[in-house]
Amino acid sequence: MAGLTEAIEVPGARRLELQGVLCTLVLALVALVVVFPLVLVALQSFQVAPPGQPVRYGLDGWRAALGEPGLRTALVNTFTVTFVRQLLSLPLAVLLAWLLARTDLPGRHWFEFAFWAAFFLPPFTVTLSWILLLDPEYGLLNTWLAGLVGVHPFNIYSFWGIVWVHVITGSLTVKVILLTPAFRNMNASFEEASRVAGAGGLRTALRITVPVMAPAILSVLLLGTMVSLQTFEVEQVLGLPFRFFVFSTTIYDLLVTRVPRYDAATALAVLVLAAMLPLVLAQQWLTRGRRYTTITGQFQSRVHRLGAWRLPALGLAAAFVVIVLAVPVVFALLGTFMKLFGFFQIADRWTFANWTNVLGDETFLRSLHNTVVLATSTAVATIVVHSLIAYIVVRTRYAGRRFLDVISWLPFTVPGIILGLALLWLFLGVGFLRPLYGTTALLVIAGVIAGMPLGVQIIKSGLGQLGGELEEASRIAGASWWTTYRRIVLRLMAPTLLAVGMITFVGAARNIGNFALLTTSANRPLSMLQLDYVAQRKLEEAVVVACVIMFVSLGGALLARLLGLRSGSLG
Amino acid sequence: MGAELGTTETVLSLDRVTKLFGTTRAVDEVSLSIRRGEVFTLLGPSGCGKTTTLRLVAGLEHPDEGEIILRDRVVASARRRLFLPPNRRNLGMVFQSYAVWPHMTVFENVAYPLQLRRVSRAVIRDKVARVLDLVGLGGLSERPGTLLSGGQMQRLALCRALVYEPDLLLLDEPFSNLDAKLREQMRGEVKLLQRRLGITVLFVTHDQVEALSLSDRIAVVHGGRIEQVGPPRCLYEKPASAFVRDFLGQTVILQGRVGPASGEALRVAVELNGSMSGRILSGRLAASVALETGAVAHLSIRPEDIEVSPLGSPSQQANQLPGIIDTLSFVGDRYEARVSLGEHRVVLFLPRAREWREGEQLQLGFPPEMVSVWPA
Repeated sequence: MAGLTEAIEVPGARRLELQGVLCTLVLALVALVVVFPLVLVALQSFQVAPPGQPVRYGLDGWRAALGEPGLRTALVNTFTVTFVRQLLSLPLAVLLAWLLARTDLPGRHWFEFAFWAAFFLPPFTVTLSWILLLDPEYGLLNTWLAGLVGVHPFNIYSFWGIVWVHVITGSLTVKVILLTPAFRNMNASFEEASRVAGAGGLRTALRITVPVMAPAILSVLLLGTMVSLQTFEVEQVLGLPFRFFVFSTTIYDLLVTRVPRYDAATALAVLVLAAMLPLVLAQQWLTRGRRYTTITGQFQSRVHRLGAWRLPALGLAAAFVVIVLAVPVVFALLGTFMKLFGFFQIADRWTFANWTNVLGDETFLRSLHNTVVLATSTAVATIVVHSLIAYIVVRTRYAGRRFLDVISWLPFTVPGIILGLALLWLFLGVGFLRPLYGTTALLVIAGVIAGMPLGVQIIKSGLGQLGGELEEASRIAGASWWTTYRRIVLRLMAPTLLAVGMITFVGAARNIGNFALLTTSANRPLSMLQLDYVAQRKLEEAVVVACVIMFVSLGGALLARLLGLRSGSLG
Repeated sequence: MGAELGTTETVLSLDRVTKLFGTTRAVDEVSLSIRRGEVFTLLGPSGCGKTTTLRLVAGLEHPDEGEIILRDRVVASARRRLFLPPNRRNLGMVFQSYAVWPHMTVFENVAYPLQLRRVSRAVIRDKVARVLDLVGLGGLSERPGTLLSGGQMQRLALCRALVYEPDLLLLDEPFSNLDAKLREQMRGEVKLLQRRLGITVLFVTHDQVEALSLSDRIAVVHGGRIEQVGPPRCLYEKPASAFVRDFLGQTVILQGRVGPASGEALRVAVELNGSMSGRILSGRLAASVALETGAVAHLSIRPEDIEVSPLGSPSQQANQLPGIIDTLSFVGDRYEARVSLGEHRVVLFLPRAREWREGEQLQLGFPPEMVSVWPA
């Protein structure tokens, strides 16, 4: 072939290597800030010398974690609380999701949105508002019932108080917003076949709908368990008064005392990490196999008529919306106007002083500034980092992409407080990173890592729906990789990316667990300020700050929703 | 550049191209060449490597071995570590999913490749309008791409791939998402368009009717390798391998032992049970293999080549076997009959000029020039 001599030669192999280098760089960075700190935590659990003394390795920390009654109790408490929460919230969530998705419940779309909004409420704010209702002495519900029956029946500072707040904050809402779309997308012919075969509505729901949905339900249960193990503020506020510790508060306690017990704290952390890893793997495995039970898109699933059950069902759904959304919002607001937080009986109980005090406070303004900078930077950094990770995992043939995928899930396996601890070690231990300690940049990194499982997951599913052929068509039409990314990928992914940014903004604004060990007075955001106020027993100021965070969160939830994010893309 | 080679100019050639997925050889030393203006089809079952071959040509995959040469330019070579990205190959491609960009209108979809080529606005408007008119989408140019029917989306994808006059048009199962009637119509339209514009097409399909009706030449792909290349009729009538024979159209296969040759035809004693054992059929040797006398062999014939006549017709000849109609269905233009031939069941089409009955005995004639003999 004579023409061959005219061939244009292109150094394509070098281009390939460049892509590999880029992917490796991302992988290395993510591994540095996610995997390496966790390894440090594990190593630290064998370092038994107190801070300031020569390094000595031993098993004292592990002995303490497994042997000391206090620590053992904390572990038992953790698993008991988690188990009871899931046990109570799962059947309720399945029932609510079924009502919202598969029946003719009036206003079901509004209810779904209400649960979506409630999911964004900061647990700390919710805790404060329920204190107003259920405080053993002064709680409104208690005093009202005392007038009727003569005793104060509720005490929020108890095991059941903690479980209650957990159920209505994390456990229930997250399950409802994840299960509802899954139920909606279920192929209705399974149910119709059962009805035709002679089964009633309830029997069909129990014998067909729920078993068919079992993988989705199990996956949500695992996800819920992981999410619920992350919180720390509920126990910190409600558990401390009656010396009830779970492992996250125990770790915090071990670390903030005068002689920190790093070895015992990290040994506990490793135990929890080991318990969580199988959950993550199981969750990933389940979501992979979920496809066959659900059918998405064009399928128009018919709803079940509730008939006489319409009103009771409506009452039930409405009651839960009141409990998970209205009560926290209303009472948190109410609390901000109280002269003495929680005391409804005193004369002249209302005041604007709390707002004016807080808003005029130098500390508050500095923290507000910190929060705005922190949340905005975290949102921007998240969009860049998470979309890069998601793109590598979904779209490239890079050899390490599976590994990157698993790493992006790791932050879910460790409670926020441990992640904070791990980052603390990373930034104090690695020389060139030390200047970052005490800066907002450190908190931004923590925020990006904390939001990684959710953010990467949402962008991944968005990219998955995009279909690679849309990009390939652009390449063949003559567009370079960059033009394609700009004119096709970014344009189509923009709503998803903005929604992820919004969610991260909210998460960073209200995050406590990840930041607790990383903040100094210089970079303290609002979420830590409210905790400090609580520690100083300034509950009035705390609730004002909590309300500010709550409105930021609700605004973010609304915006993310308007940007087109549906809860279905979270799972 | 060499001398203009006229109509036989090669647009694309693949030289022992191999693509590995893990250890599987998805494309295994495939060599082929496509001439200017022809429709060349890669036909094979799903997973045979035909789409991967297309993607290699498009530049969406990197070959592990071999070279791809597009209009005298090496666009990919594993040995010389060359790779020209897809945007620099000047190809057109219609995807199975059409890949119509949902955030653009019909006009914007078609204009996109021209914008990338820095064509002036006026020329873009003109060219897009012309190509949309060509496929009957003229009135829809402002409509969002997602608000089109399946057939319209496909026409749009075709426009988008043709508007910049690519050197080669790649079609990746473009008809598979259409319903049967629309599929037939689009097939006609594409063929007409191709003949009018004289475009060179590389077409990938698993549908033999599409392949046979659209192609100038077909390559049957199996297990990452090309089994046979040739014009549709040649492939259908003279398959070079058992796979090609069975993949294209229907075949009736009988087993027997090779007897002594007589003249051109090879005589094979058919082994059927009961009354038919020991009957002799003649046929020609199919592939270029030798068959020893006494060897076990397969006799193959297309059902439509079997001459059906009622029992007792005057033309009692050699190369006949008896059959019985098991079930009979009238399908409009003809009868569809399941006929048992010993233990074999054969579907035959019978003319409606005559009344047929279930249970009726038939004489089935096997014209020796239509029977091919294969090694077992």
